[in-house]
Amino acid sequence: MAERFDMSVEFAGLTLANPVFTASGTCGYADELADFMDVDALGGFVTKSITLKPRKGNPTPRIVETDAGMLNAIGLANVGLDRFVAEKLPVIAPMKPAVFVNVAGTTIEEYVAVVERLAGEKALAGFELNISCPNVKKGGISFGTDPAQVEEITRAVKKACGSKVLIVKLAPAVTDISVTARAAVAGGADALSLINTFTAMVIDIETRRPVLANQTGGLSGPAIKPIAIYLVNKVYREVAREAGIPLLGLGGIRTAADAIEFLIAGATAVAVGTASFVEPDCAVQIVAGLRDYCARKKITRLAELTGSLDRPT
Amino acid sequence: MTRKHAPRKKGSHTATVLSNVQAGECFWKLRLRFDSEAAKAFAGFTPGQFVQFDVSDLAIPSTDSIPTALLDGARRSVLLRRPFSFSDVTADGDTTTADLLYCIVGPASLRMTTLRKGDTAHLIGPLGNGFAVPEGKRAALLVVGGMGLPPIRCLAKWLNVEHPDIETVAFIGSRTVTALPLEERPARFDEGLSLSVPTFAALGIPSMVATDDGSAGHRGPVTECLSRWLQENADRPREEVIVYACGPERMLAAVAQGANAKDIDCQISMERRMACGIGLCQSCAVECRVAGSDETIYRLCCQDGPVFDARQVVFGADDA
Repeated sequence: MAERFDMSVEFAGLTLANPVFTASGTCGYADELADFMDVDALGGFVTKSITLKPRKGNPTPRIVETDAGMLNAIGLANVGLDRFVAEKLPVIAPMKPAVFVNVAGTTIEEYVAVVERLAGEKALAGFELNISCPNVKKGGISFGTDPAQVEEITRAVKKACGSKVLIVKLAPAVTDISVTARAAVAGGADALSLINTFTAMVIDIETRRPVLANQTGGLSGPAIKPIAIYLVNKVYREVAREAGIPLLGLGGIRTAADAIEFLIAGATAVAVGTASFVEPDCAVQIVAGLRDYCARKKITRLAELTGSLDRPT
Repeated sequence: MTRKHAPRKKGSHTATVLSNVQAGECFWKLRLRFDSEAAKAFAGFTPGQFVQFDVSDLAIPSTDSIPTALLDGARRSVLLRRPFSFSDVTADGDTTTADLLYCIVGPASLRMTTLRKGDTAHLIGPLGNGFAVPEGKRAALLVVGGMGLPPIRCLAKWLNVEHPDIETVAFIGSRTVTALPLEERPARFDEGLSLSVPTFAALGIPSMVATDDGSAGHRGPVTECLSRWLQENADRPREEVIVYACGPERMLAAVAQGANAKDIDCQISMERRMACGIGLCQSCAVECRVAGSDETIYRLCCQDGPVFDARQVVFGADDA
C-alpha cells in the first residue's frame, strides 16, 4: 500500500523515513532488538556509548525502579572501539535507519580518536556526542555543564567528523539549557538531542545506604517527560529555530501521544529510551501511532508538527 | 554439553491464567497456559531460563488485604517487568502449561495476586541460558535456598524424565520451616536423605531439608548437607558428579567455593536486578573470571546467564 502520509523528516541534511529513533543505551547495538521488531521500521538508531577502550562498567546494583521511572548507573559499559568495528558494525551496516554512534570519553582526545576512526564508515549517518552521562567519574556530564567546554569539545569532534552529522546530547540539569545549546551550535553541532537523564538517588531506609552501588544514577522514564517537553520547547524557541538546527527529543516517551508532544514542542525527531525495556517494540508501535494521528488530524506531512505549539503570548 | 531442547527464539507472548492461589504460608502459585506460537516457544523452555512478566497494568489488591509491612510499597507504581523462572513446564499438544511460584515482596508481586482465572498475562521469553547436563554425569546434587526452588524443581523433573540414569538428590534450605516454598509439607522432615519431601519424592528424588533455626530437618546452612554428601561419597570419580544450585548469593558463593575446591562441575543460577532481560539495559552484570587471566569482566545475567559455571563467577560485595 502506498504511504498516505508523508512520515519523512529532514534531519541535518538527512532524509529519514520517519522521526522515531531508539535512544542510546536502551537498544544495544540493534541486534538485541531484532527478535522483537523490524528494526528497519525505525527512522533512526543511536548505539550504546562507545569509548576508545572497552569499559567494564559499574558494580551492581546498577538500576533501581522509582515511581514512573528508573535510575541507572551502568557506567558506560561497552565493548570498546576495536570490537565495535569488528563485531557490531557488520550487524549495523545493512540496517535501513540512520545509525548514529554515541561517543563517550574522559578526554577530548578520546572522543576525537573514536570519531576519526569511524568517520569514514559508510554505514553510519553520524555521531551523538555524549557529554552528559551522569554516571562516570571523569568526562561525561563534567564536559556537558560548562558552556566553554561544550563548545571546545564540539569543535574538536566536528573537525574529525568529515561529512557525518554531529548530534550533541545535552544535560538537563543546568541553570539555562539554552546556554549550553548555543555553545554546542557555536562549536559546530549539526543537531542537538535532549534530554539526557537527571542525576538522582534512592536510599534503602533499612540500611540507610544508597541502593545503587554508584550511589547516584540517571533518572529516566515517564517521570521526566514534562521537564523534557519544557526544555525541548525552550531550546527550540531560544536557539534551534533561528539557527536552523534540528532537535532529537527524548525523555520518558512511551506512546505516540508522547512523541507528538515532543514534535509540537519543537523536536524534528524523537527517541524512545526506557520504554523499550518494557515493550521492546515500543518505537515501532509509536511509528504506527503517528500514522493514526496524521489520519485523524488530516495531516499529510508529519514534519509540519515540529514547533507547531500554539503558545499564547 | 547436551541440551535436549534447543532454546527457541524469544519473543513477546501472552498466556491465559488457569489458576493463581496462595500455595503456602510464604508463596503463591500461578499456573499459565500458552497456546499456538507461544505454546511452541515455551515447549522448548529449558529449566533455569526465565520470563519477564509485565505487571504494570494489574490492579492493586484492596488495602485491607495488604500486609502492613507492604502498605508503603503498595502505593508505588510499577514500570518495569519482573523476571521469574518456572517451576514446571508441561507441553501437551497445542498447549503448554507453566507454573510460576512467587513471594509477595513489593508492589509488583502484590499486583500479581489479583490475577484471576481467565485473565491474560503478558510475558517475554523464554530468556537466558538454563541448566545443561554435561556428558558422563551419574550424580546430580540439587541445592536450593528458599525461593531458589522453582528452577531447581523444574530441573529435577527434567532430570527425572530425560536423564533417569543420573542419581539425583536434593538439599533444600531456608531460614525456617514456614519459609520453605513447598506446596505439601510433611508433619515431620527426616534428618537425612529420604523421600519425606513430596515435591521431590513425587519425582523419585531423595531430599532433605535444612533450616537456619532448626525448625525442620538439619539445623544449619544447607551447604553443610552438600558437604556431608560429598564427604560420604568422596570415592566417586568427581567427573561423574554435578552440582546445581539456586538461592541467595551467599549460599551460591558457599556452594561454588565447595564445588570449585573439589573441582566438581557446578552450575549456579544467579539473580540480578534487571530492567529489560534481553541485553538492552546492561544492568544485570555478574562479575566473571577470564580464563587464563587475572582480569575479570562483567557478563550479563539475562543473556550470558542466569545459569553460570560456578568456576566463572566472582563473588564479592556485589548484591551480596
